[in-house]
Amino acid sequence: MPRIDLFNLFRYALGTIVTIYATVVTFQSLWGWYVWLAGSDKYISLVRRYVILHALRLRFRAFWGDVIICLLLCVAFVILWYAHHLIYDLGDRVAHARQLTQQH
Amino acid sequence: MPGSLPNSTELKMLPGTAPMEPHDVAPAEEVVAGVTPERQLSELPRDELSHLAEEYGLDSTAYKTRQQLVIAIHERRQMIASMDREAMLDVIRWSRRPVTANATKEQIAQEITRIRTMRFSGLSQRGLLALAKMRGVPASEDDPVPLLIRRLKRKEGVFHKLNRKRRAMIGSLVAKVIGETESAADYQFLPGETAAPDAVPPRTSTIKEDIEESGLIGGITNRLKKSADAYVNEKLDEIEARIDRKLDEIDRRLAEWRDKEVANRILILKITLWASLVVLVISLIYSYITVILFPRPSAPPPNPVVPHHVHTDNGSPTNK
Repeated sequence: MPRIDLFNLFRYALGTIVTIYATVVTFQSLWGWYVWLAGSDKYISLVRRYVILHALRLRFRAFWGDVIICLLLCVAFVILWYAHHLIYDLGDRVAHARQLTQQH
Repeated sequence: MPGSLPNSTELKMLPGTAPMEPHDVAPAEEVVAGVTPERQLSELPRDELSHLAEEYGLDSTAYKTRQQLVIAIHERRQMIASMDREAMLDVIRWSRRPVTANATKEQIAQEITRIRTMRFSGLSQRGLLALAKMRGVPASEDDPVPLLIRRLKRKEGVFHKLNRKRRAMIGSLVAKVIGETESAADYQFLPGETAAPDAVPPRTSTIKEDIEESGLIGGITNRLKKSADAYVNEKLDEIEARIDRKLDEIDRRLAEWRDKEVANRILILKITLWASLVVLVISLIYSYITVILFPRPSAPPPNPVVPHHVHTDNGSPTNK
C-alpha cells in the first residue's frame, strides 16, 4: 500500500490542472484571434493592419520595470524549484546514511 | 451635354489618340474631318442647329440658310479642335468656371462661350487669343494684349455696350444698397512662393460685375450661388476637420486602452508568479520539515535509494 502525501498530491494535481487549463484557454483565444484576423474581407484587412500598426507603436519602455520584475520572479521560481531537489537529495542521503548505520 | 451632340466624334485627333486624353494636343493641320459631317448635321432640324450654334458661340440668326449654318458650325468645330488647350484652360481658370480637368476641347469651348464679361484683367495673352477666337474676333498669335482687348471691345457692338453699361449701373446701385465696396474685393494676398510665376491669379468678381455680366436677376443668382457654394465648402471643411479630430481621438484612446491592457496582463502575470513563489516557499518549508527535520520512519526498501553523489571514505565524490 503506497503512502500518499496529501500536500504533495494537492499541489501536483493543482499545478497540473491549472497549467493545462491555462494553456488550453490561451491557445484557444490566440487561435480565435488568428482566424478572425486572417479573414479576406477588406474591413478585416484594415483591422489587421491597424492592429499591426498598434503593435509596432507599442513602447516597451513603459513596461520595462514590470517585465524585469517578472523575469526576476521567474529566476526565483527556478531557484526554489532547485532547492526542492536539493532537499530531497539531502533526505535520500540521510536515509542512506541511517541505513548504513543500522546495518553496521 | 456635349457628349450627346451630333457628330461629336467626327472631328478626329491624331490617329491612335483617344479623344478623352486632354493633354495630347493635336496640331491644326493634322485634324481630320469626318467623312460626311455636313450631311449628318444637315439632317438636324433648324431649332436644334440653332441651339448647337449658340453652344459654340455662333449667332444663328446671322445665317440665313440651313446650309450656311451647318458650314459655320462645322468650321467652328474645326477651329476649336485646332485651338491650344492650355490657352483655353487659362480662360477657364481666369473666369473660375466649373470644368473638370479631363474635359474635352468642345466642353471647354462651350464653357468659354458662356463668359460674357468685358473685363479682361488678369487674363494671359494666349487666353485672350482663345477668347477672341471664340467670340469671332479675327486675331493672330502675335497680336499684343491691348490690341486684342480693343478688338474684343469693338466686336461688342453699341447696343450690347449700352446694355452692359446699364447693367453696370444697376449693379453699382445694388452694390451700394448691400454695402459691398470694390476696394474690399480688389485686395488679394500675395501669391505663395510655390506658385508658378506665370500662374493666372484667381479672379474675384464683385456683385457689380456679376450683374453687369448676367443682368440683375442672373447676377444676384450667381452671387447667391457663389455664396452658397462657399458656405457649403466651408461647412464641408469643418466637417472634415471634425472627422479628423474624432479619428485622432479614437486613435489616442485605442493607444491608451492598449497600454492599459498590456499593463494589466503584466500585472496578472506578476501576481501569478508571486502566488507561485509563495506556494513554492511553503512547499519548501514543508519538504524541509518532512524530509530533514522529522523524516517518517519507514521500512527499509529492498533496493534502497542511492543518492546521486555518494562520498567515499576519502571524501571524493563518486557516481554509482
